[in-house]
Formats: sequence, structure tokens, C-alpha cells
Amino acid sequence: MTGATIIFYLLAALTIVSGLLAVTTRMIFRAAIYLLFCLIGIAGIYFWLQYQFIAAVQIVVYVGGIVVLIIFSIFLTQQAGEKLPKQNLGRQLFSVLAVFCGLALALVQLAQYEFVITDGKPVEPTVANIGKQMLGVDNGGYALPFEIVSILLLAALVGCIVIALKSNTETA
Amino acid sequence: MFIVKYIKNIFKGVKSLLVGMRRTGYYFTHHKEIITQQYPDNKETLNLPERFKGEVVLIHDENNEHACTGCTACELACPNATIKIVTKFDITAEGKKKKALDKFVYHLELCTMCNLCIIACPTDAIKMDQTFEHSVFDRKELTKILNKPGSKIRDGVE
Amino acid sequence: MWSFSNIAGSIQNWLNQTFSPTWSLVMQMIIAGIAVISLFAVLGLILVLMERKVSAWMQIRLGPNRVGPKGILQTFADTLKLLVKEGLTPAGADKLLFNLAPVLALVVGMLLMAPIAFAKDFQLWNLNIGVLYVSAVSSIMVISILMAGWASNNKYSLMGAMRSGAQIVSYELSAGLSILTIVVLCGSLNIPDIIYSQADGWWIFKGHIPAIISFVIFIIAVTAETNRAPFDLAEAESELTAGFHTEYSGMKFALFFLAEYVNVFIVCAIGATLFLGGWMPFHIGQWQSFNHVMDYIPSSIWFFGKTFFLIFLIMWFRWTFPRLRIDQLLNLEWKYLLPISMINLLLVTVIAILGWHF
Repeated sequence: MTGATIIFYLLAALTIVSGLLAVTTRMIFRAAIYLLFCLIGIAGIYFWLQYQFIAAVQIVVYVGGIVVLIIFSIFLTQQAGEKLPKQNLGRQLFSVLAVFCGLALALVQLAQYEFVITDGKPVEPTVANIGKQMLGVDNGGYALPFEIVSILLLAALVGCIVIALKSNTETA
Repeated sequence: MFIVKYIKNIFKGVKSLLVGMRRTGYYFTHHKEIITQQYPDNKETLNLPERFKGEVVLIHDENNEHACTGCTACELACPNATIKIVTKFDITAEGKKKKALDKFVYHLELCTMCNLCIIACPTDAIKMDQTFEHSVFDRKELTKILNKPGSKIRDGVE
Repeated sequence: MWSFSNIAGSIQNWLNQTFSPTWSLVMQMIIAGIAVISLFAVLGLILVLMERKVSAWMQIRLGPNRVGPKGILQTFADTLKLLVKEGLTPAGADKLLFNLAPVLALVVGMLLMAPIAFAKDFQLWNLNIGVLYVSAVSSIMVISILMAGWASNNKYSLMGAMRSGAQIVSYELSAGLSILTIVVLCGSLNIPDIIYSQADGWWIFKGHIPAIISFVIFIIAVTAETNRAPFDLAEAESELTAGFHTEYSGMKFALFFLAEYVNVFIVCAIGATLFLGGWMPFHIGQWQSFNHVMDYIPSSIWFFGKTFFLIFLIMWFRWTFPRLRIDQLLNLEWKYLLPISMINLLLVTVIAILGWHF
């Protein structure tokens, strides 16, 4: 067993354990923190795979963005510090069943997929390569999705401003 | 116009920040202007500012006489009952009774050094002293009687 | 002549010859960990003393001058006191998160140390996206503050944490944009690449006025991100007692304190790397003789000199400017810094495309 394998198992254990804790804990703020560690574990696995750019984006988007957003919304809710009530048995059973169905589906997929070991070198995440991958118009580029997402976000921003604007017509 | 005002604002802000930074930068580079006094080391040469107030004292002259008539103006002026004047009646030469000071009780632990008693005193009998090393082991010691034993009022002070 | 990279190289060679690859890797990790932890300790001691001296001199005071010659042992005494002090956990606190938060803060600081180049070719981890990595990992910092504020179960802590969160999330934007201007100019996210691109002059001089503007915006934004005055709303002593670390004492408080100073060091090191050339000596274009003279000063001295200059600048801000109100803070970011840095980024892009920079 080499050092790299040990690191992989440590990261995988961190991800799985904190993921399990995130769904089983009855304190909502702790759940958010466990989710954070789960996402950090996944980012760690990306680093381990030397997908450095994906790992950094994982941290920026999920840890710096989404988890902070979740924590803020928890802060703004009432009685967030109390333990959530225990769910009844039927719901627990149903969720366990759903989890096992999902797990079985994933395992079947994994068993059927033939993993091919490639010896191709990974794409170096230089600025030029990142730009070509994300904004390229040729095969493998993501210019169209990128632009569509930009328009969606712009529309969302404008919508926010419209909602937040005070309407002067009513008072006048 | 909006954009002109915006840019003006930025320049005004940056300028005022730079003015502040120039001041602190000046202090940083001019160590000789340091005003800190290294107190226990310079007990002999300690230089207290003129307006520093340490405690209230009753002025006694060399004949152990003071100027307090016991009028309790200071007691009335004190905002937090620091001063308590106890009076007695002296028999004057003509055989008349005359009000005089018996005990000038001063609670240092209550005093805020506000100077109101000094202003109120009609005969300038009390003043603010600059002693400041007041720490004692028992707070009873902070209740002081300011008139010295055997002291009496100076002749001619009414 | 010895240098950091030679020492590191010879240690690595010796380890590789003596042990198997796995053990050699483990040994290297341990050595790196010990080095980073001792750097933390030294930085904490130096920076706290520096802050106290700088603040004293700016306020016409003397500062610590009793413990040791000229007071240089003052921070040792303080650290010793904090070490032996009891670390209380409040009864109503969420014990797990309360104790985890300061550790997380420090671990984030350690992770951020990895891609910083301390001297010529001396780096813990040379990764391709160094600058992006730093700005990504530093966003975990806010979570440790939010955790501490929440777990303390104290309204001051919670308010401090909320303010801090709002502040860091918004100022990350303009910090990121001002980092991007340099990335646009030199076309790389790799820290050694950025430093080598400044061999004929630092970017703050080569990039004309837009580089200076983005340097100023970067300094303002990182001051806000590290929660230092004038942006110290998160711990505003006069309003919130001590903000998110109100309930912390002893060693746990010391960890937060240390993390704050380590963060200041890291952002200043990044600023020095991007704008002032990192360990690159002061070079002017093609003046070979002048450049050679500058090369005689070791690269690590250049790096630490520039970093400490920026730290001094941030301390200068702290002891000059009054604290901002929360609405002023958000106004400054969203109405001034963000539009300016966006226009500035556009200008820099034009400069980079047309090749107008030196």
C-alpha cells in the first residue's frame, strides 16, 4: 500500500463519514458544517487526482458560495439552535430504502462500466487552456452554455433589483 | 452631473485618507515627540500637567490654621456626597457661640475630582492636590479627615 | 552560496537516498509541517510585537519596553500566559463546533502557506493554479468565523460573525478582480511564472496606472477580508465586546489571534508576489549592471522585505482610520471598489492585448 493509496482512503473516509453525519445529525447548523467537510473531502480527491482547477472551483463554488449561503439562511431562521424533532419510523424506513436504491443503482453502474486506464497526460490547467476549454467555439468548447448561463444570471440580477426597488408610484 | 460627482467623491476621499496617514506617518518617524512618562522610573523628575487633580486637601498654614468656616458649601456642591462637614460651636472672646469646623470628612473612594467643591468654597480653604499614589490595603483608609488635629480657623476669616 | 532551494534540495536528495519513496514522502511532509508550524509561531511573535510597537509610535507612545531589551520578549510572555490560561467552553455552546472553529482557522492558514514562494525556487507546493488556489482556500476562513460565532451561543458573537461573513463575501469580489488584472497581464496563474514575468520590472511599475489602481484596491479588499481596522466590524470592541471570539479564552483565543496575523502575512505575501515581484530583486528593464548589483541581496530578504512593507502599510491603515459603519462598508464595496475594479480590468485587458505594458 503506497502513500497515495492511504491518502485516497483517508479522503474517501472523510467524505463518506461527514456525508453520513450531515444527513443523520439532528442539529441543522452541524449538518451544514458536516456538508462543508464532505465537500472539502471531494475537493481533496480532485487534488489527489491532480485536477487542480476543478478542485479549486469546487472550493470556490461549494465551500465559499453555497455552504456560506446555507449557513446564512440558517442564521436567519428562528430556533435554529434547537434539536430537530425525531422523524417517525415510516419516514426513516422510507429514506433508508431510498438511499439503498440509489446506492444499488450507483453500484450497478460502476460494475457495468469498464474502466479504461489511460496513459494520456492530463491537460495542464494553464490560463490559456482554461480559457479555450471554457470559451472555445470548436469541439469541446463551452461557449454557448457559458453565454446562456451568463444571460440567466443577468436576468436573475435584474429581477432582484426590480423586486428590491421601492415603487414610487404608490406613494406619489 | 452624477459621474463628475462620483469621481470628485473618490478623489476627496483618497485625499482625506492621505492627510490622516501623513499625520500618523509623521508621528511614527518622530520618536522625540513621545509624551509617555515612564512613571516608576522617574519618580523624582515626574512632571504632572498643571490641571491634573489628585485629591482634595484643606490648606493649613504654619500656625496650623485653616480658612474653613464650616459653611458646608462644598458639601452641598458635591454631586456624590464625597464631603461631610461636622460642625461644632466655639465660644468666642465675647462669650458668643460661633459655628466652626469640627471634622472635614472626605471620602476619597467616592471622589471623581470634578472640582465643584473648590469652586464653591467662599474662603478658598480647600484646593486640589496633585498626589496620586492612593492605593491602600483597606478602603477605610480612604475616608480621610482633612483638618489636622488641633487646627483652628484663621483669625479674620468669616 | 547557500540558498533555501539548495538546502531543501539536498535534504530531499538525502531522504530519497536513505529511505523508501513512501517513507521519504512522509518525512518530507513532517518536515514541511514542522517548518510551517514554527514559521507560524515566529510570525505570531514578530507580528504582534510589530503591531504594538507601530501602534505605539503612531500614537506618540512608547509601546512595550519592559520585558527583555526594548520589550522584544513581551510577546513571549503573553504567549506563555495564554498557554497556561484555562480554555473555557461556555455551558450553552455547541461544544464540538466551538472547539473545532479555531483549529479550522489555523488549518486554513497552513493550507494557504503551501503555494507561497518564500525565496528563489523555494516553495512547498508549486501548483499550476497557485493564485486561484489561494483565493479559493481563503474563502474557507469565513466559515471558521461563522462557526465560532454560532457555536458560542452569544448574541455579540453571532452578530460579529454575520457582519464578518457579509464583509468577506463582498470584498472577495474586488480582491479577486484585482488579482485578475495581474493574471491578465502575465497570462498565468502559476506563482513562479508570475514572479519570473517580473524579471524586468515589477508589475506595479510595468502596468501603468491601472496596475497601481488595482494594487490599491487589492490592499483595501484584503484589509477588509482579514477583518482588520478600519474594517474590523466583526470584532468591533466598542459595540460587540470582541465579536466572534468573545467567548474564547486561553489557547483557543490564541489560535484565532494567530490565525488573524498569519492571514495578514499571507495576503501581504500574495500582494508582494503579484504586484511587487515576490522574491524578484528590484530590476529596471535591461540595465544589466544595476540588476546584477540588486541580485547580490538574497531573494528571501527581498521577499520578506516586501511582505513586511505591505504588512506595515496595513498596520498604518489600522492605526490611522476610524472604523466604518456597516452601510458605509457595503457602499464602499458595491458602489466604488467593484465598478472601479471592473473598468480597471477592462483597461488592463486592452493594455495586455495591445502590448502597451513595458
